[in-house]
Amino acid sequence: MQTPRFTPLPLSRRRFLSVAVGLGLTGLSGHSRAAEGAYVDFPFANGRRDLVTNFPQKGAMLLLRTRPPLLETPFEVFDQGIFTPNDRFYVRWHLANIPTTIDPASFRLRVYGHVRQTIALSLEELVSDFEPVEIAAVNQCSGNSRGFFSPRVAGGEWANGAMGNARWKGVRLKDVLDRAGIKADALQVRFKGLETGILPQTPDFKKSLDIDHARDGEVMIAYAMNGEPLPLLNGFPLRLVVPGWYATYWVKMLHDIEVLDSPDDNFWTSRAYLIPDTPFANVMPGQQGVKMIPINRMLPRSFFTNIRTGTVFKVGEMKIVRGIAFGGDCGVARVLLSSDAGKSWQLARLGPDLGKYSFRQWSLPLRLTARGSYDLRVKALNTAGSIQPDRANWNGAGFMRSVIESVAVYAV
Amino acid sequence: MNALHILRTGLSTLIPALLGLLLLSTPASSDPADSTAASHSPQSAGRPRWNKVTVELPVSQAQFPPGKGAEISGQCLICHSAGMVLRQPPLTLDEWIGEVNKMRSAFGAPLPSDQVQALAEYLHAINGR
Repeated sequence: MQTPRFTPLPLSRRRFLSVAVGLGLTGLSGHSRAAEGAYVDFPFANGRRDLVTNFPQKGAMLLLRTRPPLLETPFEVFDQGIFTPNDRFYVRWHLANIPTTIDPASFRLRVYGHVRQTIALSLEELVSDFEPVEIAAVNQCSGNSRGFFSPRVAGGEWANGAMGNARWKGVRLKDVLDRAGIKADALQVRFKGLETGILPQTPDFKKSLDIDHARDGEVMIAYAMNGEPLPLLNGFPLRLVVPGWYATYWVKMLHDIEVLDSPDDNFWTSRAYLIPDTPFANVMPGQQGVKMIPINRMLPRSFFTNIRTGTVFKVGEMKIVRGIAFGGDCGVARVLLSSDAGKSWQLARLGPDLGKYSFRQWSLPLRLTARGSYDLRVKALNTAGSIQPDRANWNGAGFMRSVIESVAVYAV
Repeated sequence: MNALHILRTGLSTLIPALLGLLLLSTPASSDPADSTAASHSPQSAGRPRWNKVTVELPVSQAQFPPGKGAEISGQCLICHSAGMVLRQPPLTLDEWIGEVNKMRSAFGAPLPSDQVQALAEYLHAINGR
């Protein structure tokens, strides 16, 4: 196990610090500080999250659940660079039997089912036999920001930190499938990781993609993340990367690929992770009779990263406001900023384009000329013409949140 | 003779290994001798170096508060720690019944049907609306 970075404090001291640090941090954007005993209060019921440092290969993370782990990236990490460091990248597991030892020497990736020949690849073979590819891509939990849904819905109660951006390196799924040889009438490809449930009756976590999607040359099997092997909690040694799609498809500890000749009817594909088949997966609370489909492509989003609700500006002083944006399933076309609650909008300057699936930084110099409070807003327009809406989308599972983000600041 | 043989065997495996390391120009991990020390050594632009990884996951400190029906909540802990429940939004009794039934039907929680109501009432009492 990795040496913990901080020595845990006795409980009484921990409690004291919780109060001391917590009081200073209570705010709408949930700012946090890496101090033992620190926590963040998000602005929704039961929104207190301890900042913990006791997970392997991880720095300070917000604890949502210990077993199986749900760890949120503290939002200030997104202001520190366009790529999310591996040790701060959020963590989401469904089932509690997670292998705690992975031996690369014996690990095999199996491809079987509706193929000409079953194959079992060692990690060495995967690396040496296939052309390496690299892509910058956002990995975002389907339920990122669920805690902000109104009315609230049950689930993993994330704030905005169940996402991250990394440089993924690995091999094309297509190349691996071609090695096995897909039979002509294959329909879907199903992926399974090494995690299992505690109870035998708990369904194994498996996700499927249509055959054409699996063979599009973009979907990849990653063995490196930001230039290093993946942290175990992010899927070491292999993780499926499905650019532009929600992270539920990015199967961790991928070891089992089954080519299917009929639609996948397993629980996690056919009954879980379903969204209303409506624009932005949006429905009215209580609305019935909506066709449900598997979650798929991501929506555009943008965030402030260097200011938050409560930030104080000096009247007349120029301040660079900055943040991140992503287009979802395509690039960012524009990021727009408003300092008058959305009545008028200014174009933000976009940072380097690292590829259409990556975070993109934006910035804008802003001068607030009169004393008072300001409602600053940011929205992204993607290259397909999709734009974050004024009102948040809503659905019963708390998936796919996308809305103009707003912070309340002061000029004094 | 015997010692020499061992030395030869040792060198014949060691030298390619050393060459391999040089060719990969992989920065050494903090303790390459301890393959279970987590870790993830940085890799060069070329091939990754595969080390065995062993980690230890922390044990949850979260506990269900006392209350009528609290003893049934131990069933929840088979699959997940208590923090998941305590961090849910306050739910209505019907919503808690729905959650408990989802754990039974979708995930196979071995909770007898005649305990669903009692568990949901407990959850509603500690985190209800």
